[in-house]
Amino acid sequence: MRFRLPAFAMLLAFSFAGCAPQQPYVVTPQIDDAKAPAVVGDASSAEVPPTASVRALPYKGRLVEGDPTELPPAIASALSKDAPLTFTYREELTHDEYHIPTIVTAFDPVTYLGAPLGDYAVTASATLTISEGNRTIADYTARARVSKSWNVYSEPKHSELERAAREEVRKRIEQRLYADADRVAHSSVAPAPSLPE
Amino acid sequence: MIRLLLILLIVAATGCAVQGTPFEKAQSRSNEQVVYVYRPYSYFGSLLKPAVTCGDESARIGPGGYHAFVIPAGKVACSVESTENADEVDIHPDAPVHYIREEIPPGILTGHPHLNPIDHDVAQTEIQSCCAAEQ
Repeated sequence: MRFRLPAFAMLLAFSFAGCAPQQPYVVTPQIDDAKAPAVVGDASSAEVPPTASVRALPYKGRLVEGDPTELPPAIASALSKDAPLTFTYREELTHDEYHIPTIVTAFDPVTYLGAPLGDYAVTASATLTISEGNRTIADYTARARVSKSWNVYSEPKHSELERAAREEVRKRIEQRLYADADRVAHSSVAPAPSLPE
Repeated sequence: MIRLLLILLIVAATGCAVQGTPFEKAQSRSNEQVVYVYRPYSYFGSLLKPAVTCGDESARIGPGGYHAFVIPAGKVACSVESTENADEVDIHPDAPVHYIREEIPPGILTGHPHLNPIDHDVAQTEIQSCCAAEQ
């Protein structure tokens, strides 16, 4: 009984201290930009390759749906207001997050040695449709998943992961566009003259 | 004496939660978008209320609270910053409503606020069950 009261008092003090505002602590945020996030395609893993220069498509089109500032570079460079083809581009992000319960990590010494505390993941899905009038000439879909774990010393910003996922899915759409470019150019009634590569 | 300590302990553990009206949808016009930032109650970091900024608007959200940012439609960033870390979420105008869950897990010496974009189906259930309007 003699030790119970101090034990309760300590618990109470700890409890109040946990609720108290913390002292400012000036440290440069340790966000690790150097490490590339893990990128996962439909099933396989891949590193994000460096940005390649834009290869022109052998046709032009009008954007009827989508944000002109958020397009795969090949489509952005193929936009033309009076082209017979139309582009419809949709991009959607879904988020996954996993973290070890705080009640565990807060008291676990390995937390402060930099052990992973959780994982953020962003999956980007994109659809590009190329049409001429009511006729759909091509329809491409792609998906890319980017994930990164975090710890107390290094946390990715969500915006960085989202940008990486968007870039990756656009790259995959472009790969399909280039692979199918000649067929689309021939399918359109009035294809634009071939552009030099 | 022990009873008193127990009562104090319970009050200390639960007394920091936001008290307010339950969740209700914010009104917005066609040229606006709504970003709901909500913070489910967690004892850890419960007195920390870092400023969350979406566009030009800022709000400090307590544990168990939420704030509806009604901002002009368009691309905007929501961010939160502490002395040890920062987090940022890009809001794209592809949807009129967005949900972000704020969490403050322990950091080195202070809590690290995180902003997690949450998909609509999960967020709508969570925000209705967890959070009251920040007064």
